[in-house]
Amino acid sequence: MAHEASRAGMIRNVVVIVALWEIIGRLGLVAGGALPAPSGILLQLWADRADYPQHVLATVSGSGLGFLIGNVVAVLAGLIFVLMPATLRLLRGVNIAIFALPPIAIAPILNLTLSGMAPRVTLAALGVYFVTMSATVIGLSQYDTRSGDVVRAYGGGNWMVMRLVRLRGAVPDVLSGLRIAAPNAVLGAILAEFGGGGRWGLGSYLLGSLGRGDPFRLWGIGLVATVIAGLSYAVFAIISERVLGTTRSVTLNTAIPAPASALSPIGRLALACGAVLLPFVAWWAFVTFTGVPDMIAKTPLGVIDYLFVGDQSAIARQKLIAALAETLPVAFVGMVCGLGFAFLLAVLAQMSPAVIRAVMPIALFTQTMPLVALTPLLVLLVGRGYAVTMWITISVTFFPAFVLLVQGISRVPQSVLDLPRAYGATAWTEMRKVSIPAALPYLFAATRLTVPRALLGVMIAEWLATGTGLGNLLNQSRGYLDYGMIWTVASVSVLLSVAIYYAVLEVERATLKRLGMQMVE
Amino acid sequence: MGALPSRFLQPITNRSARAAARGEGISLTGVSKTYRGRGTEVEALRDLNLDCPEGSFTALIGPSGCGKSTALRISLGLESHDGGTVRVAGKTPAEATRSGLTGVAFQDAALLPWRSVRKNIALPLEVLRRDPRAHEEQIAGLIRLVGLDGYENALPGELSGGMRQRVAIARSLITAPQVLFLDEPFGALDQIRRRSMNVELQRIWLETGSTALLVTHGIDEAVFLADRVVVMHANPGRVVAVIDVPFERPRTPDLFSMPEFHRLADHIAEVLHGT
Ligand SMILES: Nc1ncnc2c1ncn2[C@@H]1O[C@H](COP(=O)(O)OP(=O)(O)O)[C@@H](O)[C@H]1O
Ligand SMILES: [Mg+2]
Repeated sequence: MAHEASRAGMIRNVVVIVALWEIIGRLGLVAGGALPAPSGILLQLWADRADYPQHVLATVSGSGLGFLIGNVVAVLAGLIFVLMPATLRLLRGVNIAIFALPPIAIAPILNLTLSGMAPRVTLAALGVYFVTMSATVIGLSQYDTRSGDVVRAYGGGNWMVMRLVRLRGAVPDVLSGLRIAAPNAVLGAILAEFGGGGRWGLGSYLLGSLGRGDPFRLWGIGLVATVIAGLSYAVFAIISERVLGTTRSVTLNTAIPAPASALSPIGRLALACGAVLLPFVAWWAFVTFTGVPDMIAKTPLGVIDYLFVGDQSAIARQKLIAALAETLPVAFVGMVCGLGFAFLLAVLAQMSPAVIRAVMPIALFTQTMPLVALTPLLVLLVGRGYAVTMWITISVTFFPAFVLLVQGISRVPQSVLDLPRAYGATAWTEMRKVSIPAALPYLFAATRLTVPRALLGVMIAEWLATGTGLGNLLNQSRGYLDYGMIWTVASVSVLLSVAIYYAVLEVERATLKRLGMQMVE
Repeated sequence: MGALPSRFLQPITNRSARAAARGEGISLTGVSKTYRGRGTEVEALRDLNLDCPEGSFTALIGPSGCGKSTALRISLGLESHDGGTVRVAGKTPAEATRSGLTGVAFQDAALLPWRSVRKNIALPLEVLRRDPRAHEEQIAGLIRLVGLDGYENALPGELSGGMRQRVAIARSLITAPQVLFLDEPFGALDQIRRRSMNVELQRIWLETGSTALLVTHGIDEAVFLADRVVVMHANPGRVVAVIDVPFERPRTPDLFSMPEFHRLADHIAEVLHGT
């Protein structure tokens, strides 16, 4: 019953939001009509109806194929990681790099080295790999050992337990992984279309329409992209509901469970070294096997040469540092604002559940909305200055963090929440003693998870809108055919993202340990 | 009962004669086991001796944590042991389980939630790489035997705790085991349900006539079902007494209220509590 009521409340809120949007749009209240009314957007969609099918088809086929390939690889990798835990340690570096890489940074590289549909498919596949892989590892690791005992009691070995108990047991987790991965595939395909210069695809359409700045069409493209991403999410949500009869949380555990191992210190050291080196080996192998000339495709050594040895290296360094100086502060401030805001609102929402009901639909909507589609819309709303970068960063960090925090706090039993009140505590004391400590571990987890997204958001904004920072450097270098710089920006942004991830992880460990709290995996 | 494997229907006398000749059953001789964790050691079993002649029903009773489950898990090859020898049906645990001579039911039914009753019962066959389709009749017979007709295609989530436990019992019998291990199979049931399951288990065991080892902490249950009650003490886990139960079979629920029954149960309780 409560569920029904809250669903009705959600629907009511959505209706209210859409109605408000219509009124604001009609009256042209925001940024001189940059926020058009939904009815106007739908009319423009109808007018453009001849254009859409081919663009949609191109994006859907690219992301669909990438989704398929990425997930097959992810599930197989997860299976191997569980059967041979040493491989998980060895590939840790590769996994984290794939998790942290801002897709926009490597889109130009894929477009340089691969041709046709391959860049879209690859970027879509990279977008789904990590989510599905960790879901598979978690699903296969957390099996019912009692059922495993039954199989072993009849002489079944590890493989038999895997086949009869663990594989089927992991299905719910894998499905919830697929659900979250599906919108990532759409985002990856669109981003690859961006740098690809191909004719068809929603990314190409968006890029082509950006110059005209027609709000109705840009919103239309954004909505179509969102609908595709949302539908792909919904398909797997329905499948898993059918299979399980239960629903699971919208966010996913992205920490890789540490395998218990009895390795010697030397073995551990070797694995750790391998883990660090492997991403570079993979990069090297990729460049070698695609057979693209050295001039265009740079190996790790090529990048070092470009940045530190070659004649132009001083200029290149200067450009890079200038771009970083523009990108990092904005990204940092945006993340702090987004996370802080989410934290405040989540803690406050504890006292008034209506806030949660109002914000949740928007949060879920923006989570499925592809970032690339969001950016032009924000450009329309707030212009091309720093503000747009800031807004992008805030929005990509705020919503996932808010969802995670609200879920985290709601895990605190009501009796614990009631206790301070029973002793006559003020609202402030109650918040200080219960809500804030309960939310803290989730704040860290949210930070870790949103770092790559924040960097991606900033770079997209810079590429499309502000003409500053790393994103712009990447876009410019494409124009100047400055291949060294393209590879440099790509590798630096991936390294940066990984470095920040680990920095947050370290701070998190130290802080939570000092406070005697558990990390959220 | 025509659906049951022919082994189930052999007259008991016949089998006991064969047992005596071959000395099969369960035998643990001088078995010791220490669990080693991070910096901690638990001596679960020290010099444990346990003999269950073929065709007999043995109940293993003792305080919680005395190593009953450990002994059973070692007999099934689920746990390694530090010293001593273990023979199940004349073979090592690994050989015996792999040849499908054993059956097992644990305290928790441990059914796979996505499999129907029928498919859950067929699980051991799949592990042993036997064709479940060739055993359809046996499966149907066992479902009837444990009184679950009509629930063949139900999922575990749709069954009560007692019904799930009966599925686990049926599953433990599907391989027509020569040796049956039961680790507190009725531990999760209430007293009334438990009594009726005890009666059913006796009926099933009499029909199958396998060697049975039942781990329990219920004295009533042990006395009602077993030919011999083996009492263990903890720290370290060891056998302190083997007590014969002389009552005629088949035993009826009346037995639970007879003075002889209570005298024996009181005696076991004294041994159990070391007074
Ligand atoms: N996997 C294990 N690791 C460490 N200690 C264990 C393990 N399993 C059982 N033990 C310990 O061994 C002792 C015997 O346990 P168990 O055989 O389960 O007892 P029972 O079945 O009689 O209650 C207990 O002290 C228990 O804590
Ligand atoms: Mg036990």
